[in-house]
Amino acid sequence: MRKNNFAEEGKALLFTLPAMIPLALFWFFPLAYVIYLSFMEWDFMSPDKLFVGLDNYREMFADPAFFQSLRVSVLFCLGSVLPIIAIGLGLALLLTSKIKGGAVYRTLIFSPWVTPTVAVSIVWSWIYEPEVGLANSVLKMFGSDGIRWLEDPNWALVGILLVTIWKSAGWAMIFYLVAIRNVPNDLKEAAELDGAGVWRKFLNVTLPLISPTTFFLIIVQMVQALQAYDQINVLTQGGPAGSTRTLLYLYYQSAFTSFQIGQASAVAITLVVGCVLLSLASGLVGRRAVHY
Amino acid sequence: MTVWRKLGGSAHYAIVAALAVLMAFPFYWMVTSALKTNDEIWQFPPTLWPHDPLWHNFADAWVAAPFARYMLNSIFVAAAIVVIQVINSGMMAYALTHMKFRLKGVFTSLILIGYMIPATAVYLPGYIILGKLHLLDTYGGLILSNCVSIFSIFLIRQAFLQVSHEMIEAGQIDGASHFRILWTILIPLTRASFAVLALITFIEQYNNYFWPMLITKDPNLQLVSAGLRSFFVEGGAYGLKWPLIMAASAFTIAPLLVIFVLTQKTIIQSVNLSAGASKG
Repeated sequence: MRKNNFAEEGKALLFTLPAMIPLALFWFFPLAYVIYLSFMEWDFMSPDKLFVGLDNYREMFADPAFFQSLRVSVLFCLGSVLPIIAIGLGLALLLTSKIKGGAVYRTLIFSPWVTPTVAVSIVWSWIYEPEVGLANSVLKMFGSDGIRWLEDPNWALVGILLVTIWKSAGWAMIFYLVAIRNVPNDLKEAAELDGAGVWRKFLNVTLPLISPTTFFLIIVQMVQALQAYDQINVLTQGGPAGSTRTLLYLYYQSAFTSFQIGQASAVAITLVVGCVLLSLASGLVGRRAVHY
Repeated sequence: MTVWRKLGGSAHYAIVAALAVLMAFPFYWMVTSALKTNDEIWQFPPTLWPHDPLWHNFADAWVAAPFARYMLNSIFVAAAIVVIQVINSGMMAYALTHMKFRLKGVFTSLILIGYMIPATAVYLPGYIILGKLHLLDTYGGLILSNCVSIFSIFLIRQAFLQVSHEMIEAGQIDGASHFRILWTILIPLTRASFAVLALITFIEQYNNYFWPMLITKDPNLQLVSAGLRSFFVEGGAYGLKWPLIMAASAFTIAPLLVIFVLTQKTIIQSVNLSAGASKG
């Protein structure tokens, strides 16, 4: 019996190690390492790391660039998540009833999501070209002078957000299409019998019943927004004047451009804390406030 | 009443069609821009379709940088990662759902914790570790560092939980080994989830840019996104060659759009499964 148990444990290891070893090597150990580095001063080259305690964090909280990046990250989250949810839901409501060619339209709207962010961002950088780009050509038809999309600090983030929203709205739509289809018909009919119009029916029946999907999408999109990199790298590289430098971008600039590994690690920890808080919130709120 | 309904119906139809065209328009714009001459592309107002479409722009762009190499790199690395993830996610999910062992609780909580950690935040230490292992600038590094995904494990675990226990018990009574049960009972029953895993992982890895760009400096090892991006930057240095850049973007995107059109049902089904997986 004892021996049997022993064999069983061995087999379990055989089944789990192919996943656990890479997880440990490229996930858990790096996490521990970045926490350690955040207490060190190191320039990547020198053989010795200097223990500086909480200095990196103190400097981070005294650094205006950190707060600017924090602000950009928050704006990026809100400015991408809210439109993605609203547009995704709107599209799903439009496509949920049977219309001719519905499947084709669904395909077209969803297609940006599968394409590489780098390639489509390059296409958008051509659309944003100030003189003859598509965006300004359309604006000029309406008598505007056009916008310097990627060079104006007031507009650069908007430009990046538009690409982000365009890429993910169709993805949110697919989730909502499924959720709306799962709303029981008898509930809608009951509401109709009570004399509820289309709008009331939506507010009182559909919207509460699809709230788990809304909640799921908000969390997933926020975590994605905190980690957005490709479109920023192609379109603005954090500029102009830091107006599109998110926390993640600040992290990589201080790590791989100015080689302040300790400082960079402290910013990374801030990101980790942000994502963990979001996940925990989804666990807590998800169980209480959301209809299942 | 019916007149109004009809009017509402066509308005609805028109809105949907307009939105779909709007969403797909950047792709159309990419292709037509790729076909223009350098003179025509700088004309104002822009033309919707080139006067004289230059189809050879695609061939010119294809040889202007080693795109065949980039694309093969991406396909090879993504395919290798898919194969490894199918194996290690399947085995891990099996252990978590159908085996009893002492470390089960520890492994489960580690995976749950890992799910909350943003991958991008550990790229810096990951880079240093990969350097210590002498895996920077190698295919091995590109593949190994992406060869496990917590999402994939969750996805398969969710699928295994839905297989009825009677089927497994029947296998156990027949004296089948764990490996046999996994291979001949569970995997055939959960094919759909494995298909989703393979597709989503392939797309994600083919599109992957940030991490592969960080860990490979050798142009021969660049994946297609990084290759395209350096072509874009160089094009900027020698006066922007927008038509060629658009052509290169087009053939980078094309394989994905083809895969998507062919496997639409599976990809859209993945939405259902992924919502389920993250709730579990």
